[in-house]
Amino acid sequence: MKSPQSIAIKTEQLVHTVSTSAGELTILKGIDIEIKEGESVAIVGASGSGKSTLLGLIAGLDVGTGGESYIYEHALSNLNEEQRATLRGEYIGFIFQSFHLLPSLTALENVMLPAELSGDYQAQEKAMAFLQQVGLQHRLDHYPRQLSGGEQQRVAIARAFASNPKILFADEPTGNLDADTGKIITDLLFELNASQGTTLVMVTHDNKLAQRCQRQLIMAGGCINEPRTRSNESESDEVSEA
Amino acid sequence: MNLAIRILLRELKSGDVMTLVIALILSVSTVTGIGLFVDRLQSSFELQSSTLLAADRVIRSSQALPDEWRQQAHDFGLATANRASFSSMVFSDDGLQLSQISAVTASYPLRGEYLVEQSLFGEGVPSIAGPKSGEIWVSSRLASLLNVAIGDSVQVGEKALLITAYLVRDPGSSMSAFAVAPRAVMSLSDLAATEIIQPGSRVRYALMMAGESNVLEQMAQWVTPKLADNQEWRTPRSGGQGIGATINRAESFLLLAGTLAVMMSGVAMALASNRYVKRHLTQTAVLKTLGATPNKIGQILFWQLCAVFALGAGIGLVLGWFAQELIALSLDVLLSTTLPPPSLTKVWVGLMTGLVSLVTFCVPLMSRLLTISPLTVLQPISHLSGRSGLLYLIGFAGSFALMVVYTGGVLLPTLMVVSVAVVASLVGSVGFGVFSLGRRLSAGRTSGWQIGLASLRRRLGANLFQLLVFTLIIMLGLILTGMRTSLISDWQGQIPENAPNHYLFNVQKNNVEEVKSQLTDLSLVQSDWYPMILGRVTHINGEEVSELFPPDTNQPEMLERELNLTWAKSLGSDNQVIEGTFSAESEGISIESYVAEEINIRLGDTLTLFVGGEEHTLPITSIRKVDWSSMQPNFYLILPQAVLENFPANYITSVFVPTSKQQDFYRTMSNYPTISLVNVGDLITRIQFIIAQVSQAILLVLVFIVTSGALVLVASVRASLDERLEEGALLRTLGASKQLIQQAMLIEFGFLGTAAGLIAAVAAEVCLFGLQVFVFELAPSFHPLLWILGPVFGFTVVTLIGVFAGRSVIKVPPMRMLRAL
Ligand SMILES: Nc1ncnc2c1ncn2[C@@H]1O[C@H](COP(=O)(O)OP(=O)(O)O)[C@@H](O)[C@H]1O
Ligand SMILES: [Mg+2]
Repeated sequence: MKSPQSIAIKTEQLVHTVSTSAGELTILKGIDIEIKEGESVAIVGASGSGKSTLLGLIAGLDVGTGGESYIYEHALSNLNEEQRATLRGEYIGFIFQSFHLLPSLTALENVMLPAELSGDYQAQEKAMAFLQQVGLQHRLDHYPRQLSGGEQQRVAIARAFASNPKILFADEPTGNLDADTGKIITDLLFELNASQGTTLVMVTHDNKLAQRCQRQLIMAGGCINEPRTRSNESESDEVSEA
Repeated sequence: MNLAIRILLRELKSGDVMTLVIALILSVSTVTGIGLFVDRLQSSFELQSSTLLAADRVIRSSQALPDEWRQQAHDFGLATANRASFSSMVFSDDGLQLSQISAVTASYPLRGEYLVEQSLFGEGVPSIAGPKSGEIWVSSRLASLLNVAIGDSVQVGEKALLITAYLVRDPGSSMSAFAVAPRAVMSLSDLAATEIIQPGSRVRYALMMAGESNVLEQMAQWVTPKLADNQEWRTPRSGGQGIGATINRAESFLLLAGTLAVMMSGVAMALASNRYVKRHLTQTAVLKTLGATPNKIGQILFWQLCAVFALGAGIGLVLGWFAQELIALSLDVLLSTTLPPPSLTKVWVGLMTGLVSLVTFCVPLMSRLLTISPLTVLQPISHLSGRSGLLYLIGFAGSFALMVVYTGGVLLPTLMVVSVAVVASLVGSVGFGVFSLGRRLSAGRTSGWQIGLASLRRRLGANLFQLLVFTLIIMLGLILTGMRTSLISDWQGQIPENAPNHYLFNVQKNNVEEVKSQLTDLSLVQSDWYPMILGRVTHINGEEVSELFPPDTNQPEMLERELNLTWAKSLGSDNQVIEGTFSAESEGISIESYVAEEINIRLGDTLTLFVGGEEHTLPITSIRKVDWSSMQPNFYLILPQAVLENFPANYITSVFVPTSKQQDFYRTMSNYPTISLVNVGDLITRIQFIIAQVSQAILLVLVFIVTSGALVLVASVRASLDERLEEGALLRTLGASKQLIQQAMLIEFGFLGTAAGLIAAVAAEVCLFGLQVFVFELAPSFHPLLWILGPVFGFTVVTLIGVFAGRSVIKVPPMRMLRAL
């Protein structure tokens, strides 16, 4: 709060409940977090604890059933899907565990897509530049099925950065990759993140990977715990680390 | 929009959109093909029955018709001709003979042609032009009775006319009018000069018209209010005698085929839409995370649908056109009948089907893409709600509406819906039972069996749906096959081979033995001889007929006019007593079952008949079912011999005269000028020709539909391919051999196919019963063939298609497969 940086993400008592065949299921039980611009944050926790749901909600992929979530000054519950989509296009990049490239598009076309959606006419040059940065300049016309998992994830990283996002969300980006490839991917991710100055929010199982982030949030049973209790002490600690 | 098109073009390359396009092509081409073909057959039927009428429409009258009518028809753009028919004496140097004469304008006949001959009693060659002014064509019978030949003159009234040909057939003569009787045709322009038409003469006038059906309809509307009681507007159907029923049934069948085609397109569309939407759920969610707004997604989908429609409908139309052209061509080759060209107004049916099925099946499902939460990209697929069953209902409602429009009624569509519901519930219950049985059977078998049967159970929902699709398609094929079989056997039964083609009546009692032996000498097969006495029914159970059925209401045919009554020692094989008993000594009446029903009379009721100045009241002692198609003489009422034998009777019989003996037969009969001779052979030939043509057409339509059915089957297997690919790859990474997976798939598909075939046979049998009873008005029958055909076809085809379409599961290395997921 004393920090000069503005706040990129904030939630207030964020609650999410879904109805299943077995009845109501509350996945998030009142989450309060703040993430500053330029910060890198890892969300860790057991499978099924609600990490992905939290990530999705703070990224504006949906709105929680209770509480509020902000991306910069925008309160998400006040926006309709049309406005949230525009907001996502403007602020956000996403990397998924299972890559989620569109199978009918080539690597280049996949990377061009976000820029095309926002009506950017230089989509192609930008996309080619980013594909070059991830080292896939020679695979432009290949379809996702012709690429290995690591290569697909590199294309996904290029796609995520291609829209110049302020915040990058990653949901277990190395979850489907072997250790060596995972390492290459995370290096690439942090490298690009540093050079572009984006805020990074990452869900991961991997402790090593979590440690590379400035801050770790632990999820358990739909609630957040920071490793040390949220206090001024911890904040000063982080500042000294930075 | 720019982006939408770009995305579309990229998607087209990938084949997902292609599935939709192919389904659309299938719908549009099948429905267009059948629609156009039915249209052509219908025009062809119209034309053929028109030849029996010598025109498309005829106004008949007992007074001369006003010339404004002819003028009006002419102004509408119709071709016209006039005919006046009358009986008159024809004189030659050697004698005179009462003859039936037609006086016609030069334009007559508008449809069909004369048959004429230069030698007596020949078979005849076609001629379109009629006799010129000053000429007369006489039948061989009349020529021999008058002892004249070509080149001689005969006198009709005050006018001498030159014989230039022997008339074999006058095209406008339907069964009742055309007698191998003393007949002649002359030019209408000579009629006035004969001076035989006087006030009070009995003349039948006819104004004949031919042209486009909509113009004919215009004319009908114009003239109908002006028709007097003694004037009648006739269409080929109203005078068709049996052809009408045959054609109606054929048309019902083709409509049925078209309806089934619509339904099948619906299934194809539902499958393709489902596959498309399923594969795009996650993709769309991803697009949304990238910032695509619902608006943008909507635009992309809209332009995709437009492009899919343009492409699918375009190709579908062309294919449909070629398909029906091909059928028409093969008809031409096989039966040498050239069909009239199709009217392009029928093209909309195919386009409509495509549009409606796209909009009703695809759009509701696609709305899920608009509403899907982007959050789903972070959830495992299993959390996606799969409830689209209700959305299919919209599609089926669309198909139903199409069928109603297509058949112009709700009977056939309702029957179809009911049978689909029956099938669905059968599939639900039987399928479930069979699958759990399969599970029990699979325990302890070799692993191929285990995997195959286990995967049936694992994907129960998907497999039940697939089973439903298989069953529906096989059912449609079986229905068409069964209907074709029973229609054709009905038609063939309608006119047995060597059925009598000539009726002899007005034979005097003292001539009977002589004629009998003459016919035997010619070795012609003759039916029994029956006496005929005219009588009229006056009372039913003591109540006056005129009070029970007032003359201005729709009177039963039997009460309208004088009836031919007979007596008989025994009944012919075409008569079957269904109530009471018949015997020669019976003191009551034997009545035909149809008329008994019509006047609502039962065994034991009484009829009062007025015969030769006497009234007789007699009880009904038997009710007979008569097979009228036997062409044997038959009677509504058979009375006791004791009642009728004292009245003077004429005798009637029927004979089969093969073409080779026709000349001898006519020559013999010309010795008996008082005997009336009616030739129905021409009609029989025509009906048989139409039947041959329709059977052929139906067979081709069947092939057409079964082919598209097979395509739908392929599509439905493809729809489940994703899952199978996944599973196949998985099994192979776990070390399963190719043979094992192949065996497993064989078993799974074999099971599905056989079950589908069996259920389809049950459903088709039920459906056929409904069709036969309610739509085609045939006697219901059992179709054992279907019960074999269904399962065998189901097993073979589904297995083949399944293994063929799923071969990538076996061929592709597991590594690539996993990567593709
Ligand atoms: N739409 C949904 N319907 C039903 N259950 C859901 C839904 N979304 C998430 N869940 C459940 O909520 C829990 C948390 O999910 P998720 O956020 O994906 O956890 P994590 O990412 O930590 O593994 C899981 O048990 C998941 O099955
Ligand atoms: Mg998760």
